[in-house]
Amino acid sequence: MDIKWRNWLKKGWRAAALAPILLLGGCAHNPYWIFDPKGIMAKTNLFYMIVDVVIMGAIVGLTALLVVWFMWRYQKGKNRGKYDPHWSHSNTIEVFVWGIPIIAVGFLSYFAVKGTFEINPYNPTVITHHMKPNGDPVEVDVIATDWQWLFVYPQYHMAVANELVLPVHTPVFFRLTSSAVTTTFFIPQLVGMIDVMPGMRTKNALLSDHAGEYQGIASDFAGAGTSWMTFKTKMVDKADFSQWVQKVQQAPGSMTYASFNRFAQPYIDVNHHVVYFSSVEQGLFDHVMTEVMRGKTWPIPPMMTENMVDYMKKQAAEHRD
Amino acid sequence: MSSHASTVDPKKAELWDTHHHTHDVISTRTLGYFLYLLSDGMLFATLFAAYGVLSYQHSYFGGPTPAEFVKPWYTFAQTIALFLSVLAYGFGMNALKHKNKSGLINGMLAAFVLGVVFLVLDIHDMNHLYSMGITLASSGGMSAFIVLTQVHATHIFFGLIWILVMIAQVMTKGFTEETVGRLLTLRMFWHLQAVIWVFVYIFVYLWGYIS
Amino acid sequence: MLVDLPGGWSPLLGRLAWSQIPYANPILAPLFVAVVIGAIIVLGLITYYGKWTYLWKEWLTTVDHKKLGVMYIIIGLVMLFRGFIDGLMIRTQQVWAVGPHSSGVFGSLHGYLTPFHFGQVYSAHGLIMILLAATPLLVGFMNIIVPIQIGARDMAYPYLNALGLWITAAAAALIMISLFVGDFAHNGWFEYAPIFEMQYSPGVGVDYWIWTLQLVALGTTLGGINILATVIKMRAPGMTWGKLPIFVWASLSANVIALTSFPALQVALGLVAADRYLGAHFFTAGMGGNLMLYTNLFWIWGHPEVYFVILPAFGMMSEIFPTFSEKPLFGYITMVLASMAIAGVSWLVWLHHFFTMGAGPYVNTAFSVATMLVGIPTGVKVFNWAFTMYRGRLTFNAAMLWAIGALFLLLIGGMTGMMLAIPAINYMVHNSVFVVAHFHSMLLVIVYAIFGSVLYWFPKVFGFKLDEFWAKTMFWLFSAGTALVFVPMYMLGFMGMTRRLEYVFNTGWQSYLDVMEFGIVVYTLSVLAFFILLYVSVRDHAKNRVGADAWGTSRSLEWMTHSPVPFYNFAVLPHINERDEVAWRRQHGIDNVRPEHYDDIHMPNNTGVAIILGGLTFVLGFALTWRIWWLCIVSLLAIIVLMIIRSFRGDPGYIVTGAELQRMEEEAYRREAQIADSHHSHPVSGGVVGNAMAYQRNDSSKRL
Ligand code: HEA
Ligand code: HEA
Ligand code: CUA
Ligand SMILES: [Cu+2]
Repeated sequence: MDIKWRNWLKKGWRAAALAPILLLGGCAHNPYWIFDPKGIMAKTNLFYMIVDVVIMGAIVGLTALLVVWFMWRYQKGKNRGKYDPHWSHSNTIEVFVWGIPIIAVGFLSYFAVKGTFEINPYNPTVITHHMKPNGDPVEVDVIATDWQWLFVYPQYHMAVANELVLPVHTPVFFRLTSSAVTTTFFIPQLVGMIDVMPGMRTKNALLSDHAGEYQGIASDFAGAGTSWMTFKTKMVDKADFSQWVQKVQQAPGSMTYASFNRFAQPYIDVNHHVVYFSSVEQGLFDHVMTEVMRGKTWPIPPMMTENMVDYMKKQAAEHRD
Repeated sequence: MSSHASTVDPKKAELWDTHHHTHDVISTRTLGYFLYLLSDGMLFATLFAAYGVLSYQHSYFGGPTPAEFVKPWYTFAQTIALFLSVLAYGFGMNALKHKNKSGLINGMLAAFVLGVVFLVLDIHDMNHLYSMGITLASSGGMSAFIVLTQVHATHIFFGLIWILVMIAQVMTKGFTEETVGRLLTLRMFWHLQAVIWVFVYIFVYLWGYIS
Repeated sequence: MLVDLPGGWSPLLGRLAWSQIPYANPILAPLFVAVVIGAIIVLGLITYYGKWTYLWKEWLTTVDHKKLGVMYIIIGLVMLFRGFIDGLMIRTQQVWAVGPHSSGVFGSLHGYLTPFHFGQVYSAHGLIMILLAATPLLVGFMNIIVPIQIGARDMAYPYLNALGLWITAAAAALIMISLFVGDFAHNGWFEYAPIFEMQYSPGVGVDYWIWTLQLVALGTTLGGINILATVIKMRAPGMTWGKLPIFVWASLSANVIALTSFPALQVALGLVAADRYLGAHFFTAGMGGNLMLYTNLFWIWGHPEVYFVILPAFGMMSEIFPTFSEKPLFGYITMVLASMAIAGVSWLVWLHHFFTMGAGPYVNTAFSVATMLVGIPTGVKVFNWAFTMYRGRLTFNAAMLWAIGALFLLLIGGMTGMMLAIPAINYMVHNSVFVVAHFHSMLLVIVYAIFGSVLYWFPKVFGFKLDEFWAKTMFWLFSAGTALVFVPMYMLGFMGMTRRLEYVFNTGWQSYLDVMEFGIVVYTLSVLAFFILLYVSVRDHAKNRVGADAWGTSRSLEWMTHSPVPFYNFAVLPHINERDEVAWRRQHGIDNVRPEHYDDIHMPNNTGVAIILGGLTFVLGFALTWRIWWLCIVSLLAIIVLMIIRSFRGDPGYIVTGAELQRMEEEAYRREAQIADSHHSHPVSGGVVGNAMAYQRNDSSKRL
């Protein structure tokens, strides 16, 4: 995979644009996740952000300076500039006033179109155009519940709740759905957002060359447990990944639709519980989607977090912790 | 060119309104009412859009579709009733031009009765659906079908009340600036509801029947 | 037909029960007591001073557009204050509930608000700020200024105007009462499908949200119709479209948006209500519903709505800049075109609020480009303001400072908006506090323009100026607060912090949150400064009285009539010769020419119907929220019957005779002359002398 990445980098000016940020990213603990991308999707996004900020920043910055200058020059009583009480029109200025934004928007539109195709979650050309013909991407089916994440690895017939482990240098393709309400799947340093909706399937993809641990977030409000609906994403070497897969495959739990039915009950994941399921019902993802389309819901008890401390006690008492 | 050059001679300029302008009450009113109808039209446009989105096969979710219960001739009768009602209203307004009070009241009464016929047919139709177990809750498609048609029916209902009120006002007050203005705005309202009905008939009933 | 409700329902009280009153809540209960005590004090004072008749006759039943406007503005300010308290609560929760080791009180695990309450706070904050603070404030100013600026005696439909006000008041009352009776929606100000469905939001919160918004939509639509018709029909003789003051143009374009977009919201809400009340399946995930339909419908309204609120603000800025630059607005025609263009394009961009929903790249780019197009006319506006200052003579008084602040905020908000408009960037910052910072930059443009306008038009409405020192103090405190809250927020956005977090999972963000908390304290000081400003100005009002042209450099028609504006606005309607009529008359020394002859004029009567109808819509909204069916029917019937009765009675209006007018006018002129005299003997700093003098200074300064 990294050959492709270098190919992509050949467009040197892109690298140049990214360079200062990569320096920033080199710091040990850069808290600016968006400026410190570790996956090709996030990197591409950052590139467009820089382009946009450079173009817009130039115009907006100059405008601000212009205004400040006028404020200084034409302040009453300071006699710095000529006062012309009737001057209120100039065709030359009008041309610039309309022309500059039009040209700028033209440029930006070009990048907007290009960027959208490159990181299109359904077919991100930054990943797919450079994939080896026989590459073996990892597939993950993501099911969001109220308020947990279930990551199904259909290739390995296993599933993990609330933790995502992926190999580096390997394209990863996600299919996503929700059993409850709409939320958004987001790993700031690896891949941008995509909505996760009940009864529907969306897709996303990522590719990273940097082993490490990254924060995953449910970034659209989905109810009381959203703030705790985070998950760790671990990018690991291929060897470590196989080892991890073996570990999960030996876990005791299994995930059928029946057990999913229990799993999907509203649950606030305060302690970031990670559970492994060594086996998963074939086609669980589609099964959940069909059930939801048939009208299946996992309703929320009225005012469930009116008193959250009590609620957590109840959750613990029911041994769901 | 540097500024908005003044063209009026200040020495001779007229500074105050000496012609004693009065505003035409009726045209101001009808304009306002036209603006309201614009927003009413947007309301229906949005409802049609919602219906469009929710009229695919899967929106009916395997349940009943309009094709199963729409009776085009029945709805056609509704269409005729509504159109005749608009026509009767038109006759009434024609009588207004000749300051013919009883002519106007007759026209309005006819419009009222025909409107009631429309509404009764609609209510009967809804009852029929209900007896077949089809409600708003049957499916997304049926929700859209029922809400769109019944929002229109609600407009008709309020239009009918308004017609009654206007008949009473013409009888008690005769043709004043106020009543004539209201008769004109009511006509606009009534016409718009008929026009919207055409869309409902074609895109909801007939289309639903065909597909 | 009706859906099954979780929890009880009784025919008499619907879902209402004692348990719905949060008497044990440690935050709400004391607040409730405070509100009750406050209300008793206010009512007591009114009774003590025997002001009830005055209140009823002069305010509650008035159809005078200026008084209605003032009441709109009071509602707006009170709701702004409420929204600010919500903002304070949001910030305090987030600075407290950081990391698993943070403490929790009042039944919450972290911080002091449970998820459920936190959700209500920001949902109410967003809804209130946009629709019950900014909107009434803007509508209030449009109400006061537009008729005077076009030389009309009132709005086209004075009674409808009063109705619009009282419906807005009903909406405000409904959302306020949700604090103490039941709860408010907790899924954000725009909610979302399917989280607002009964299964996920079983309480009455979403219902409060539906009916509050419906009332706002109704009130705003009525107001929009009124302003459009007023501008089209009521212009003074000679005021052609090319001479229309720029604020009127801005109001016009804004209300075109309101009129055409609010129906989409009303439908969206109606369909949500069908889902929640009748068990329909418009937006459910299953049973053939389509939850994305809601998102689309909401933003088809929601995006035009943000331009509906910013366009009048732009109009205000376009009035303030020329006055304090002492020259005409640069590029009047392009300014008008730009407003219209913004209004038009605002319809084509709604999808940028959900780029992440997974539409194909073609759809996304189409909306992305359309969104960026809005930047062009907006840029034109910014440049035109800049060139209005160019070759001007700038006075940096408080009103001007607010306008300039608005301009800079617009640059920042526009820059970040243009970032959000590109899907490749949006995917990283959507639903993050970066978006929150973007729209606060933009919405604060409105707040800045409004405070600028309060200062700018206050003397017109009340006849005296606000205190400059405290106005400036407030401005700087407010701006410091803005910087301290929203600069760190942008930074947190780049750190990946998402919005609506009631528990902050990353302790690394703590220091930024601390700075923001400090910012909110500074904001609080600015509110104090505002109260002092009001107090000091009212105390010293005798010193700060002004004549017709309060600033001496103003340009449009509202500055031609007396301050405060008499109830008939103009005794004799002016004939309009020029775009900036007042400036033109001043320039040619004919601003003191009085009409020779006063004719009788016709004015509308006061009416109590509007306020009663407003009260009934409140009852209806409340009954619908709690599903008290009998009360719904009763209030609906009462509304219909009352409307019919009113239509039978009509309003003949009354006549003010020419002689009476002449007496009142002469009185006003005498007062003005006195003010001018007193200003001669003790010049007030920055005070502007008589009208003619202001022009002469203009002329002599040409040598600069
Ligand atoms: C016009 C709109 C508007 C305005 C002005 C504001 C103003 C402010 N907002 Fe608000 N906000 C929204 C609209 C607005 N907001 C919306 C739509 C949301 C999204 C909600 C959602 O997610 O659903 C939001 C969300 C939001 C959040 C995000 C929560 C989250 O998602 O994480 C935060 C957090 O800090 C916040 C804070 C503030 C602050 C500190 C101000 C300050 O700027 C406030 C400053 C105001 C004052 C200082 C008051 C001055 C008042 C007076 C002087 C009047 C007093 C007079 C009398 C009583 C007569 N807002
Ligand atoms: C008054 C309110 C207001 C205004 C005026 C704007 C103006 C703009 N907004 Fe904003 N916006 C909101 C209020 C507003 N917005 C709100 C409330 C939300 C979120 C609601 C929620 O989720 O709760 C939002 C969200 C929002 C999003 C969705 C974010 C997301 O959720 O992912 C986007 C994306 O495109 C966006 C873009 C823009 C753009 C491009 C403009 C443009 O109009 C800006 C134009 C201005 C300029 C560009 C600056 C001046 C121009 C120049 C100096 C000339 C040079 C310019 C060019 C070269 C282009 N806005
Ligand atoms: Cu959006 Cu499914
Ligand atoms: Cu928008």
